[in-house]
Amino acid sequence: MAIVELQQVCKNYDVKIAVDHLSFRIEQGSMFGLLGPNGSGKTSSIRMMIGMTVPDSGSVSLFDRPFDRKNLPRVGYLPEERGLYKKMKVIDQLIFLGQLHGLDSITASKRAHTWCERMEITEAIPKKTEELSKGMQQKIQFIAALLHEPELIIMDEPFSGLDPVNATLLQDILLELNRQGRTVLFSTHRMDQVEKLCDTICLIHRGRSVLSGPMQEIKSRYPKNRVQMVFEGDASFLDHASVANAKNYNGMAEIKLHDGADAQLLLKEAVSKARITRFEVMEPTLEEIFIETVGDRVDA
Amino acid sequence: MHNIWLIAKREYLERVRTRAFLISTLLIPLLMGGGIVLSVVSGSKTKPTSRITIVSKDQQLATDLQYELEHGKDSQMTVDVISPGNSATKATLDSMLADKQIDGYLWITPASTSDARPSFSYTPRSAGDISTKSAITTALRTVLMRERLSHNGMVAHDVDSLMEPVKVDTTQAGKNADTTSSFVAIYVLFFLMYMVILLYGMNVARSIIEEKTSRVFEVLLATITPEEMMAGKVIGVGSVGLTQVAVWLLTAILLTSGSWISAIAGGKVHVSLSPLQIIFFVVYFLLGYLLYSSIAAALGAMVNSEQELQQLNMILVMPLAGCMFALAPVISNPSGTVARIISLIPFCTPLIMYLRISLATPPAWEIALSVVLMLVTIYAVLWFASRIYRVGILMYGKRPSLPEIMRWLKYS
Repeated sequence: MAIVELQQVCKNYDVKIAVDHLSFRIEQGSMFGLLGPNGSGKTSSIRMMIGMTVPDSGSVSLFDRPFDRKNLPRVGYLPEERGLYKKMKVIDQLIFLGQLHGLDSITASKRAHTWCERMEITEAIPKKTEELSKGMQQKIQFIAALLHEPELIIMDEPFSGLDPVNATLLQDILLELNRQGRTVLFSTHRMDQVEKLCDTICLIHRGRSVLSGPMQEIKSRYPKNRVQMVFEGDASFLDHASVANAKNYNGMAEIKLHDGADAQLLLKEAVSKARITRFEVMEPTLEEIFIETVGDRVDA
Repeated sequence: MHNIWLIAKREYLERVRTRAFLISTLLIPLLMGGGIVLSVVSGSKTKPTSRITIVSKDQQLATDLQYELEHGKDSQMTVDVISPGNSATKATLDSMLADKQIDGYLWITPASTSDARPSFSYTPRSAGDISTKSAITTALRTVLMRERLSHNGMVAHDVDSLMEPVKVDTTQAGKNADTTSSFVAIYVLFFLMYMVILLYGMNVARSIIEEKTSRVFEVLLATITPEEMMAGKVIGVGSVGLTQVAVWLLTAILLTSGSWISAIAGGKVHVSLSPLQIIFFVVYFLLGYLLYSSIAAALGAMVNSEQELQQLNMILVMPLAGCMFALAPVISNPSGTVARIISLIPFCTPLIMYLRISLATPPAWEIALSVVLMLVTIYAVLWFASRIYRVGILMYGKRPSLPEIMRWLKYS
């Protein structure tokens, strides 16, 4: 079942084209990454999924049906630009937002307390939002997006502004929710952050999809032709025939192999010349794949 | 509907709970009450109780004056009479004045001819003691007038009845008397609307900017529509204003209707309105308030900051002030074409239609039409506001120009 499906969606603001014939599908239970640099149309796409704006052309389906506002309480949304009522008490705020998503105030209050314990911010419950630190406010906002136990969780740049400890906490929670069968959609420009999290991705650039599909499939399309190694001794093996280019930083080398070259041959050569303490064939990172793909397009 | 209710409830509770609201709600009635108590207290002190001495050659005039000052309507003084005085008397009185034994003395010098008035000179202990002086002046006038009247042959009894203060009763008979109270009601309605819109209208606009600056709208609009948000805000923030005004009005009514107040005020102010008129008053006031709050919401949707809003403040009350110019033609001919047209313009309906209802009896369909037109306008203004809001926040930055607004309306 497709939780979200965009088909040939276009959106223009005045003269600016924000989204240009974008299509993708998010399967139920997946961890989907909507990736792309700033201004590539991520937030515009998300806003159309939750009915904040309507596409100029193309169609959006939610929960396997044409978009319907009635289904919005099944979605949890964390906007990129966080915002809470400053003067409002945290608990009142969470209850209010929970009620807007169809909860009654008692359930909302109970769940708010449970979540605040989980997020280790129980002391914030009776306080006003403006008295809290930025990080705490972030957590409140996460809770607000999750309080009504949504089937689809949409998080726009969820990790921005979080310290590593809290980012890990949030990651763990999202993985757990995903294991419960909930669908999670991330959008981020920090591709390295979600590389491990996502099982499916869509890379967009200037409103167009440049690459999409299951993460492993995409990665396997790109050759593993980068090697990182640490060695002591003679560095002459770096001139081996399989090496396209190499950088040697005092015993730490980053090597790019020719397409189709076998890294094992290089390793043999290296072992015969120097003492190897580390030798690793690297998977291409999303960032590299993105740069490569977009770079190609830009050149063309 | 549920979402509108939730938004309205939040706005209302958050605002009513603030200290500023509590203080301003309680302070105004306290000031009103304090003012009334103060005027009552100062009012009861009008009868001066000073002790003075009158020096006069004319024994009759002195005793008449003494009686008037001691037992008259306006004073309860203690008066000694020295008759006649000599040069030593003045020195004695001056020293008594310095010893605070008396509050002042009145020196009456007889006129040279019998027709002319004698001359009076009052020496007070304190120049600020105005009430004693004015009591003496009033008493002197009364005494002199009575003396002159009886001198010309009028019987004492007639003199007294002639000098009785005149009482004018306000009676009400039929429609004629109602016109006065209608005018009072119109001015109250106008003043109330003007005040409430001026005080609270901009709060609606401000509360709409609140979500923009705090970016809360991102979360809200993920479940509700801008239309629901606008309507909720107008109702919620509007009710806060209504609550405060209701508290003030109730206190005012309670304070002024107390019998002790009217007893002191010496009469009642009659404003007699039929129950139907009161219903129309409430209906048109609420509709007017809703309409103008919706306009405020539209203004709030157009701007991004409070500073920008300040410049638009006047736009809000201008249509209402304009209605005041329409009052004259409507009053002179409440059923004429001009009056009928103006009363159907939604921005003027609350005042003008109400005026027509209280002066004449407009056909029921016109009243119904005016209400329907207002409701439609309120809906249209809110729709317009939410359109502007939706597009405005998605392309935040500057305030839109008029052509941009027109273009935005076409966006979905």
